[in-house]
Amino acid sequence: MDSQHLNPSSLKSRFTARFLRALIKINAQKPISSSSPREIFQRYRRIKVAADKSMAYSVRSRRTWSRATLWKLRSRSRRRLASSSRRSSIKTRTTTTTTTTTTSTNHRAAIVEKTSHEKENKEDHVGLAVQAEALRELVPGGESMDLCNLLDETAHYIKCLTTQVQVMKKIANLYSLE
Amino acid sequence: MNTALPEMLQCSDLTMLERQRDRLKWQEEQFQQQQQQQSYFSELSCGVFSSQTNHVQGFQGGFMGGASGDSVLSDMVMARQVKPDPGLESPWPELGKVDMAAMGFGPCGYGNGPSFDMNHAISRTSSCPPAVAATKAVEVKVNSEKMASAVGKESFKKRKAEKLQNTKVVAENESKRIKSCEDEGEESKITGPNTNKSSNNKEASGDASKENSKVSEVQKPDFIHVRARRGQATDSHSLAERVRREKISERMKYLQDLVPGCNKITGKAGMLDEIINYVQSLQRQVEFLSMKLATVNPRLDFNIDNLYAKEVFSSCTTNFPTLGMAPEMANPPYLQFNPIQQVVPCCGVEMGINSPDMTLRRTISAPVSIPDASFLDSSCLTMHQCSAMQQIQPTATWDVELQNLYNVAFDQGRSTPPFPSQPFAGSIEASDLKEI
Repeated sequence: MDSQHLNPSSLKSRFTARFLRALIKINAQKPISSSSPREIFQRYRRIKVAADKSMAYSVRSRRTWSRATLWKLRSRSRRRLASSSRRSSIKTRTTTTTTTTTTSTNHRAAIVEKTSHEKENKEDHVGLAVQAEALRELVPGGESMDLCNLLDETAHYIKCLTTQVQVMKKIANLYSLE
Repeated sequence: MNTALPEMLQCSDLTMLERQRDRLKWQEEQFQQQQQQQSYFSELSCGVFSSQTNHVQGFQGGFMGGASGDSVLSDMVMARQVKPDPGLESPWPELGKVDMAAMGFGPCGYGNGPSFDMNHAISRTSSCPPAVAATKAVEVKVNSEKMASAVGKESFKKRKAEKLQNTKVVAENESKRIKSCEDEGEESKITGPNTNKSSNNKEASGDASKENSKVSEVQKPDFIHVRARRGQATDSHSLAERVRREKISERMKYLQDLVPGCNKITGKAGMLDEIINYVQSLQRQVEFLSMKLATVNPRLDFNIDNLYAKEVFSSCTTNFPTLGMAPEMANPPYLQFNPIQQVVPCCGVEMGINSPDMTLRRTISAPVSIPDASFLDSSCLTMHQCSAMQQIQPTATWDVELQNLYNVAFDQGRSTPPFPSQPFAGSIEASDLKEI
């Protein structure tokens, strides 16, 4: 088939570039010939985070779910930093973690509150509430959206997930060809 | 006529209602008095009228609402005007436009009473009982039909438009007519194509097109323009809900296209279940693939510097030369292969890493694919390499790009960096570049 020109600014390209860079970094950190499960698991976690992160970054903040993902990742890393750097001082650590957790809980509380409020106002699909809840859990950042926007975000999220899976499949294929 | 016009035109303070009322009054007078002007005017008005009647009737309710800004009304008026009157070059375009509205408004005003007072006009209009309006609308329609028949080609155009408008207006009117003065459903005054609604309404009104159009709807001061459909409640809450429901069903349809295998499923609940399953499966796939990437990771001896160098040259969009041309060696794009050359001895995976990255350089992909085939033929590939490359049968274009670059990189990166045109031939330039 004719070779089409890849759009260098398409979502796929952006994601691939970022993800590959992250992959290389991860692989560079621990040149892996060892196959200790723990290391593998660690790497797996890192790769997964890198994949989600690169996808979220490729989407920037245009979408609620990407914003939520980035926020989650950042807060997580912040928490980790805080806890690791202040391991010596328990008091400070607890304060920090509590602050971070409180901020996150506040944020989430606000979100939930807003959600319920919105739901009350605009709930016209009572029967679908259960599934909507399930969808909300799946889609990052979905807690604070009414069904209409939730479906919107879900569509975009599905599109990005399929791209992610595609790229990762190809990379895995190439990896496995030795 | 000429004097009366400027008078009315000067009434900038008046609302559209007043102006139209005035104009209507004046027109009626003219009708009786001046035949000639009347004929022209009637032509104008009739032509406009016939086409716009239904709209006008709709407007009547709107005018009765009265609160809407002039601009909105005028916009609507203009919008309605534009369609049927492409050829209507009246010396008083404004008049024509206004007349259209005015004519529609006329019967209502007429029915209200002879008072010419502006205030009265407004008050009358606001208090105009819908029943009266309805009857007037019927009359107007009848009149319009008569007049339409009397007019020439203008009316023909307008009749066509009228049919178009007819469906819309009929759709409007289908909802409870008598309640029009209140918070009735609103006409969709969006001038831009509101295709969903209009098409829906056309379908809905197709059945009822035989009905006489009757004034039904009041244009609300708010600007959520939704068309009430037949037999549906038309208070603001249900309208808003209906809008939301339509939005949601739109999105569900879009999601149906995204999620494979959802065509047979109808119903929102089933669709949502499918969507949830699909999202879950995608997320699981990502996890699985990342696990695979973590485990299948080959020994990597690549040079990060090389990769960064690649990034630097990523912007190079110069024509990537055919691989067989020596002078091109100095081209920056070629430098991109350096890391591969270094890496290949270690493992083929690096190329896997690099090539996808390079596929992103648009310029490379196309030219690479062409010489690749010949290069492959000429090069002495090891069986392993051959099989490896053959394994990656590109199914998608993107795969092709990857594959091509993979092959090229692979070939190039073989032991001694070969000059692209000559397999296995070492090249000075290549080694020089390698240093970079």
